[in-house]
Amino acid sequence: MNPNDRPSLDLGGSLDPLGVAPGTNAAGSSGGDIPAAGAGGDTPAAGGENAVEYSTGTTTVGLVAHDGVVLATDRRASLGGRFVSNKNVVKVEQVHPTAAVTIAGSVGAAQAYLKQLRAEADLYENRRGRRMSMEALSTVGSAILRGLPVSPLLGGVDPAHDDGDGVEPHLYQLDGAGGRIEESAFAATGSGMTVATGALEREYDPEGDVESAVPTAVDAVLAASERDTASGNGVVVARVTADGVETELRDATGALMNGAAGGVR
Amino acid sequence: MQNSQQQAYDRGITIFSPDGRLYQVEYAREAVKRGTAAVGIRTPEGVVLAADGRLRSELQVAESVEKIHKADDHLGVATAGHAADARRLVDMARRRAQVEKLRYGEAVDTETLTKAITDNIQEFTQTGGARPFGCALLIAGVDDGGEPRLFETDPSGTPYEWKAVAVGGNQREAQDRLEEGYDDLQTVDDGLRLAFEALAATADGDLTPEGMSAATIDAETATFEALERSEIGAHLDEHGLLDEGSESDEE
Repeated sequence: MNPNDRPSLDLGGSLDPLGVAPGTNAAGSSGGDIPAAGAGGDTPAAGGENAVEYSTGTTTVGLVAHDGVVLATDRRASLGGRFVSNKNVVKVEQVHPTAAVTIAGSVGAAQAYLKQLRAEADLYENRRGRRMSMEALSTVGSAILRGLPVSPLLGGVDPAHDDGDGVEPHLYQLDGAGGRIEESAFAATGSGMTVATGALEREYDPEGDVESAVPTAVDAVLAASERDTASGNGVVVARVTADGVETELRDATGALMNGAAGGVR
Repeated sequence: MQNSQQQAYDRGITIFSPDGRLYQVEYAREAVKRGTAAVGIRTPEGVVLAADGRLRSELQVAESVEKIHKADDHLGVATAGHAADARRLVDMARRRAQVEKLRYGEAVDTETLTKAITDNIQEFTQTGGARPFGCALLIAGVDDGGEPRLFETDPSGTPYEWKAVAVGGNQREAQDRLEEGYDDLQTVDDGLRLAFEALAATADGDLTPEGMSAATIDAETATFEALERSEIGAHLDEHGLLDEGSESDEE
């Protein structure tokens, strides 16, 4: 009968879903269900002052097609862009039945971010019996990114609003300040973004479908790999459609390699 | 009325009686019945809420009897029972609707909001030192895609979905009228008519617009709109439910 045990009517303490208060964020404020990516309890905050790894050495691209979204990244992990620390990294991961995210930036922060976003999407679906819309996923995805040194692209599809066969593809560029910009055509992030953007500017077909967008995405990543020392070692391509997310590995010439890329889900 | 053994189980809400009942929760339901009635009706074209309020004196300002509340553009809440308890839950619904918009960039749907409220109500049936909420809410809304929804919360914290429902005083009479008249409802106006008929059944047939309130949420616009008292009077007059002795506030 301790009066302090009384339940609180407050929604997780305050109306602060955008996480202005330290150690909280949009996910944490509504009941504190999911620990924040940037607040690791006893361990130093990923991407904070104690972050060990920080680099943007990467090229990631996203293209909108009429039947879905194509995401592609290079496969190199580097230390400060000067030493290739891994030649077989998968930097695009599924976070939702019909959405995936590419990551550029600090590896630790990016991994924590992906885990948290996946947990948000799963919890939403389990509680409500329907999938998160891209609007909701990108809103949460930008809110929980605040303060993390990661530059993701989020690509996904919503079912068509008229319940028909079509889909509504969406591509968002997110940033560490919580920004969220929807791209209607294509976007690129990472240290190779300028080279990749040039290639996309020339090759992107606004009328194209997912299959025709794949070679364009591969070309853009390969172009960046030629000139950006922090990008290379092949390409990972993800097709995001109403059927889900399909990932494939390609070598440094852009040729398809055997087997799907691991690391998703 | 009870033996001393049973009274012991009354004292704490967190204690089950030997036959598995929570007396305080049941007493809270009695508190709901002591309030005036509130009615909700779902039609294909929208949801209707209507409630009868009680004025203690002709000097009381009728607008101060608040039974129907707007929670968000597309959501309304009608209450029965302890008005002060209900206000806390209504405020929670309003904050929850805003939190959802900030969190997901989307309007909260009626079921999600209802379950957030009932989860909170449930906490007050299992926590020492607290007392249950002595009120029932009718939560009406139009979800994304234009689907009208209507939910009830009760003092145990259980959510129920309804096509048409009455809570509060003389609930049985109102629910009987709803069951008789629910077939063939098409328009929001049909819903309003049946809602007023159900309220009339709780008040021996005739109603006065003073103290009454009503609101609609249209499926197409998904917008909460409260009726003016003069509009309520016009509806009652049209359907022959107006108490002869009363002057409606029409101007």
